[in-house]
Amino acid sequence: MRMINIVMATSLFLAGAAVAAGGPTDAQIAAIVVTANQVDIDAGKLAASKSHTADVKAFAKRMITDHTGVNKSAVDLVTKLKVTPEDNATSQSLKAGGEQNLANLKGLKGAAFDKAYVDHEVAYHEQVLDALDKVLIPNAQNAELKALLVQVRPAFVDHLAHAKTIQASLAGKS
Amino acid sequence: MRRTDRRDYALLFATAMALGLLLSNTARVAAATLKSVTHTVVIDGMRFEPQVLAVKVGDTVIWTNHDPFPHTATAQHGQFDSHEIAPGRSWKYVARKAGVFDYACALHSTMVGTLRVE
Repeated sequence: MRMINIVMATSLFLAGAAVAAGGPTDAQIAAIVVTANQVDIDAGKLAASKSHTADVKAFAKRMITDHTGVNKSAVDLVTKLKVTPEDNATSQSLKAGGEQNLANLKGLKGAAFDKAYVDHEVAYHEQVLDALDKVLIPNAQNAELKALLVQVRPAFVDHLAHAKTIQASLAGKS
Repeated sequence: MRRTDRRDYALLFATAMALGLLLSNTARVAAATLKSVTHTVVIDGMRFEPQVLAVKVGDTVIWTNHDPFPHTATAQHGQFDSHEIAPGRSWKYVARKAGVFDYACALHSTMVGTLRVE
């Protein structure tokens, strides 16, 4: 699992770096934001239905609610700005990584499922924060798009702290 | 002459009554205004702004959520709890008890604030 995380994290980083070389456009940033949120909503839905641990279920439900809210704001904004999200290497990498994570999680249950889901949430939020700071926020051209990214960034910080707390408590149980 | 005097007294009396009524109303309105100072805490970007708010007993505090997901304003020791405040919505609290109340968002533990009621 750790190996899969590292591979996924590396591929996301490389994809991010590839886009950053030319700098993603606002349309590409929009696609990255929407995909990043959707990937976490999908993982959250699986965990909310499959986990039997109260903390993990509550965290998964929080991810669904918060990332759905962020996506609604992002979609409302790009619609207002008449920007059509444009698929790119980073958004495709995020999507592929999300599908791989779901496939992996579907094969697990009980404590192994909880650990894999929460470990992935920690890695995912670290990667998204890294992408926000190094690629997305610096390259956003439209002031409102940049402001939205800045506004939602602390949510990812909070989610990362929350995921790490659960990660530590799960480690304590095993 | 006598009739005029009586009319003058009546007018004076009526004026005094009206003035008294007006003054007592003004005093009541002033007292009500003093009692109901309203303060706003904006929730934006996962922060309570201002993070520390000082109010007087009887003041009203309104928390308004500008984030695209729900938050709560929940006192650590149960003095108040907004429960979920949906995006774009507000929650109103009348501070009736003096004290220093640390509070947090029950959904996001990194969000903390303090309400001082003096």
